[in-house]
Amino acid sequence: MTDIGLGGRTRLDRDRLLRLLQDYGVHLGVAVLLLVNIAITPHFLSAENFRTQAVQVAPVLIVALGMALAIGSEGVDLSVGSVMALSTSLLSLYLGYGMWIALLVAVLGGAAVGVANGALIAYIGVQPIVATLALMVAGRGLAQVLLPQLKDVHDPTMASLGSGDLLGIPYLVLIAVALALLVAFVVRRTTFGRQLLAIGDSRPAAKLAGLPVRRVLILVYVCSGALAAIAGVLATARLTASDPTSLGNLMELSAITAVVVGGTPLSGGRVRIGGTVAGAVLIQLLTATLIKHDLPPSWTQIAQAVVIILAVYAARERGRR
Amino acid sequence: MKPNIFLRRTSGRTQGRASASTLLAVGLAAGLALAATGCAKSEDDKSGDSDGSKSSAAEGDAGQVVSSPGAGGGKSCVIGDYGAKKLDLKSATVGFSQSEKEANPFRIAETASMKAEAGKRGVKLLTANAQSQFSKQISDVQDLIAKGADLLVIAPLNSDGWEPVLRQAKAKHIPIVTIDRKINAAACKDYVSFIGSDFVEQGRRAADRMIAATGGKGEVAILLGAAGNNVTTDRTKGFEEQIEKKAPDLKVVFKQTGEFAREKGQQVTEQLIQSKPGIDGIYAENDEMGLGAVGALKGAGKKAGDVKIVTIDGTKNAVRGIVDGWIDGVIESNPRFGPLAFQTLDTFTKGGKVAQDIVIKDSAYTKDNAESDLGKAY
Repeated sequence: MTDIGLGGRTRLDRDRLLRLLQDYGVHLGVAVLLLVNIAITPHFLSAENFRTQAVQVAPVLIVALGMALAIGSEGVDLSVGSVMALSTSLLSLYLGYGMWIALLVAVLGGAAVGVANGALIAYIGVQPIVATLALMVAGRGLAQVLLPQLKDVHDPTMASLGSGDLLGIPYLVLIAVALALLVAFVVRRTTFGRQLLAIGDSRPAAKLAGLPVRRVLILVYVCSGALAAIAGVLATARLTASDPTSLGNLMELSAITAVVVGGTPLSGGRVRIGGTVAGAVLIQLLTATLIKHDLPPSWTQIAQAVVIILAVYAARERGRR
Repeated sequence: MKPNIFLRRTSGRTQGRASASTLLAVGLAAGLALAATGCAKSEDDKSGDSDGSKSSAAEGDAGQVVSSPGAGGGKSCVIGDYGAKKLDLKSATVGFSQSEKEANPFRIAETASMKAEAGKRGVKLLTANAQSQFSKQISDVQDLIAKGADLLVIAPLNSDGWEPVLRQAKAKHIPIVTIDRKINAAACKDYVSFIGSDFVEQGRRAADRMIAATGGKGEVAILLGAAGNNVTTDRTKGFEEQIEKKAPDLKVVFKQTGEFAREKGQQVTEQLIQSKPGIDGIYAENDEMGLGAVGALKGAGKKAGDVKIVTIDGTKNAVRGIVDGWIDGVIESNPRFGPLAFQTLDTFTKGGKVAQDIVIKDSAYTKDNAESDLGKAY
């Protein structure tokens, strides 16, 4: 838009305002939804309610953190939902050895899928969307081969992981917050984080600069796989059942939505962890609002679509800048 | 971003590692599968029913009957009309085509029931599973015909698209009975009869149960099944109509989809009990969502019986929920088609009259019979 009528200063202000809106629009969205809900939703302002929303958003958020890393490296990880299913299968299969061993096996399984993803992308040069699509199909299949049907989890440690709390804050939420802080730290303060962003910005340039592109890419997908596996374990703990058929269904889309709505550009080179957290919370609040007011389920999908379109519109403006 | 950080690492890379990693990537999935099952040690199922579904399917078969003789009073079919030849079921080969993979209790019990009944009657049974792929089911049935099946029992994945198979069966005069889902074709011409549950009736019976549990007053929520599914539509329709007719004081205040999955059922119920803490009852259109609702109620610190839960299906877990006091009633959706299917084929091939639409009798579980009939649940 070249508006000649406006003075330079006004345009600068407008640009700044637009940029602020793009960067913090998602936070604004969360704030607006909170205010609207406080005003119109009965029993919204209760600790129990916030607890429910936080517990429900935790697995999505953890998956979205890994997704943010993949998107930051100018890729995407479609296999996260299947990794959750795989992790719940592995968890159930190994629970006989105790929770910690089972948890370790589940996370290793997720990491292994990550290695496969990363190797396909970094060494063979398959497009991330295709490579992870392959693992998405294979992972779900493998999960169902390992555990053909839903199985209840009786392990008391798992049950307390799913529903217990520390000082009133559920373990699930604490784990999600800790992981978000960890990922934010990794992205901002470590060599790996910088390398990841450089690769996302421009892979040829990163290569020319002598960065270990392949190793970093593999590590990115290993992180994404491991995080998805953790989310799978937590979701299993909450449900106290392993359900590889439906666990993690469409999770990749929720995660991508959270990341994109949170202001991380799909073109890579930038990761906004705070925005991703807000993005996941925004979608959760939106869904909760519509469910609490008993609006038809199809509305939820439409509302999510509107939010995604708005986010993509903002991203377009950002790209033009 | 300071560029000097990137420059810190300038190590060169060996190119020869690519092929090794390809192998690594390919081998990983296979390796994972092997490793995963190699030394797996799964948690002991305290209830010890891991292989109980088969025996219980056979057990429950004994009580299976047609819903009501009146239901068979509609259109009927005899072998002459269909154009097949009389034969003795004992010496015949029956082909059974299952639609979905046996990953859920319903399908497991259904196939087990067919096998058990064939074994009991000493009939040779050929089975095939389409693994939820319709094209595979078509070729499955064609294979069964090629292998010499004299009679066919089909659990169709879809209602449409059966013309090629039906034509082939017609040419060989093979009688077909479809179970649990109907196919869009002419009964007694393209196939003999359909045996299935009445989902609307299941909804009505669930409503009766809910009315009894809540005393016909208060507010109830519905956890809908997957959208655009006839099971969802019918179970909702039956429930709502019956509530409206029998208990106008019982209000449906909440209708959200739990997509037939436990996790979704739990999440939706969590939202529900926060926004409507005074809810009196929850009608879940399948057991899994009902169990999710139980999980949500437990998480919210409610006690068993605070909120009345009525579900449909009759899986073991849900019936155990009645024993534990969390679930008030379970309306069964009977998967044990074996006896009825073979009985229909037997009567038909002997030249007797069979109904074109046969409704299977679904029983129900309440506090009174849950404990004693737990073995019957699938």
